[in-house]
Amino acid sequence: MVKITVDGTEVLVNEKKNLIDALKDVGVSVPHFCYHPKLEVVGMCRLCMVEIGSAKVDPATKQIVKDQTGKPIVIFNPKMQAACNTPVTEGMYVNVNSEKAKAARAGVMEFQLINHPLDCPVCDKAGECALQDYSFSVGDSGSRFREHKRNHPVEKIGTNLRIVHNRCILCYRCVRFERDIVGRDDLELQERGNETVIGYTPLNASSGPLLDTNYQGALADLCPVGALLNENTLFQSRVWWYDAKQSICHGCSELCHVTTNVKDNELYRYMPPKNPEETNYFICDAGRFSVHEFSRNRLHAYLLKGHPGKSVDILPQVAENLLNASKVAIVGGSTLSNEEVDAIQLLVNEWRNSSKDVAWEFRTETPMWENRFAEKADFLMMVDRRPNSKKLLDSKAVSIGERKGWEEYLSQVDLIIVLNEFSAPYAFDATRGIENSELYKLFEQKDLWKKTILVSTHESAATKKALASLPVKAFPEMEATYTRHDGQIRKSIPVLKPVKGLKTASEVLASLSGKAELARR
Amino acid sequence: MAIVKVHEKYKWKFLEKNYFYSIGAGMLVTLGAFFKTGILNKAVTIRYPEETRPVSNRLRGLHTLKRDEEDRERCTACFCCQWSCPADAIHIEAAEVPPERAHLHPEDKYAKVFQVDLLRCIYCGLCEEACPKGAIYLDGGIPMPADHRDKFIRNKEDMLEEKGGPLIGERI
Repeated sequence: MVKITVDGTEVLVNEKKNLIDALKDVGVSVPHFCYHPKLEVVGMCRLCMVEIGSAKVDPATKQIVKDQTGKPIVIFNPKMQAACNTPVTEGMYVNVNSEKAKAARAGVMEFQLINHPLDCPVCDKAGECALQDYSFSVGDSGSRFREHKRNHPVEKIGTNLRIVHNRCILCYRCVRFERDIVGRDDLELQERGNETVIGYTPLNASSGPLLDTNYQGALADLCPVGALLNENTLFQSRVWWYDAKQSICHGCSELCHVTTNVKDNELYRYMPPKNPEETNYFICDAGRFSVHEFSRNRLHAYLLKGHPGKSVDILPQVAENLLNASKVAIVGGSTLSNEEVDAIQLLVNEWRNSSKDVAWEFRTETPMWENRFAEKADFLMMVDRRPNSKKLLDSKAVSIGERKGWEEYLSQVDLIIVLNEFSAPYAFDATRGIENSELYKLFEQKDLWKKTILVSTHESAATKKALASLPVKAFPEMEATYTRHDGQIRKSIPVLKPVKGLKTASEVLASLSGKAELARR
Repeated sequence: MAIVKVHEKYKWKFLEKNYFYSIGAGMLVTLGAFFKTGILNKAVTIRYPEETRPVSNRLRGLHTLKRDEEDRERCTACFCCQWSCPADAIHIEAAEVPPERAHLHPEDKYAKVFQVDLLRCIYCGLCEEACPKGAIYLDGGIPMPADHRDKFIRNKEDMLEEKGGPLIGERI
């Protein structure tokens, strides 16, 4: 730690950090656009201008010269310096809020806004836009620019990404993110001078005409202005309507911390968490945008052979089936929480004690069968897309060693209970369709539907075919803990209100078991 | 003590019994009004709703959506009016401007659906104040009665002006 003086106040800061980060630790925020803690420092926006100075030293005695009051005389550099590109040194004097620094920032803001259309009413970024915030806080109210603003048409550069060139302030963040974090290096600055734009440059013939990474949402997030926008949330809502809470992502066993954006009891998107320094800065598109599914095609009725009915009629029938079955297979469960898994494990033990042959297998897809649970698909997302595989792995919910034996076992059992494996936002994206999943194909091939009970959050082709389908609560509707791939336990909070009477998967199974006992008496 | 028979003391006379004077007095008023309105054309009433009185230009009445000088819709579906509405009377659905409508809109976002529920609206004028584009004004006159609830929901077609003009700016 070194001692520096900020606006006349002495503070202790970490000498390994640059000035923006070091000052942030002591509660002084320096406005900036292009600087990002995870990206290379480029110093392109020039907004983080601060005055840097040092105490005057007498060259003869090497002593600090002091004035009559005993304070050292400080000589500030005549030129302002960018705080993002300045390391902290001992005895440094920094003026962040002096008149000169304020004037410099106001001047930079005027330059940034020269070509910016200021169309905040139609811009989706408004409300979470750095340019908007700094324009209010550090910018001047007017502009001296009287010429025509540069005008480029809106361009679609990604499968889910568009760029509004007029709003771009060329902070270079997106280019650095693609190059340094994603490792694709396919966004570039094109043209020169006033005509400079960000453009997509496919690296080789195999990459398509549009950017198709899993991090287009992160690109839109990183953009400090509304230049990069995601098309699947375009114009749907305004930022200030979202009810934001801190939770975790359901998308894979990385369990990233996220901010949930809820409006009218519908999840619109996940955003990066509030304290990214302690958690994670980026989240992937697979998690970010699959949350829409939690409000669509939900299963809200008990189905018997595809027809909706009352739970009081259907549950005893299912319980009867369970009672009569001597060989039972449970498929899936890695989308359930730790608490549900523990409860189901107790139930399974109970069933086994009552001379039932119960096997539980949660692996349903090739990567899971190959035990690639701790493998990452890219720098963030896991290959296995279920949130709680680690817990299932630890709780020995793997019954048969290999896939082939398991598939044969399924055709021999009397009853199959599928836990959430045919539910949209988990494990596979809804656009791919449930009919294309490996498990669905297996069930079709071996015609297992007649003895299958689905415990499902979502309605699908499978719920119509199964013997019975039982609706359960989904991830964002309950407070629960999940085990990350490295064993860390993370907690999710309820952000959506479930439909009244909806139970968790373990509660539904427990009620089945209770009903079966009733039937026996 | 003598008994005073009040009903006999104040007994109505023949002409009073027939309301002769009262009818006469009434007819005089009627005749006066007849002469004043029918002959001299000095009526104070108007044939509402065919005729309406001029209202103050500060009256907050029905909502109108404005167009600009090039007859493009001013509204860009920024949701500011919906957000500021204390009665939750405004419902907007935004969409991207399709190419065939591009000449009707200055930006690439427009209000596909813009509804005002007059039964909820309290005519406070906050939407007018919140609008950054000068697109909505409460200068459409006095709301009319209707015989069905649905008729109180005004759609974009009901509110949108035919011709555009310069920004109205602050009300006088």
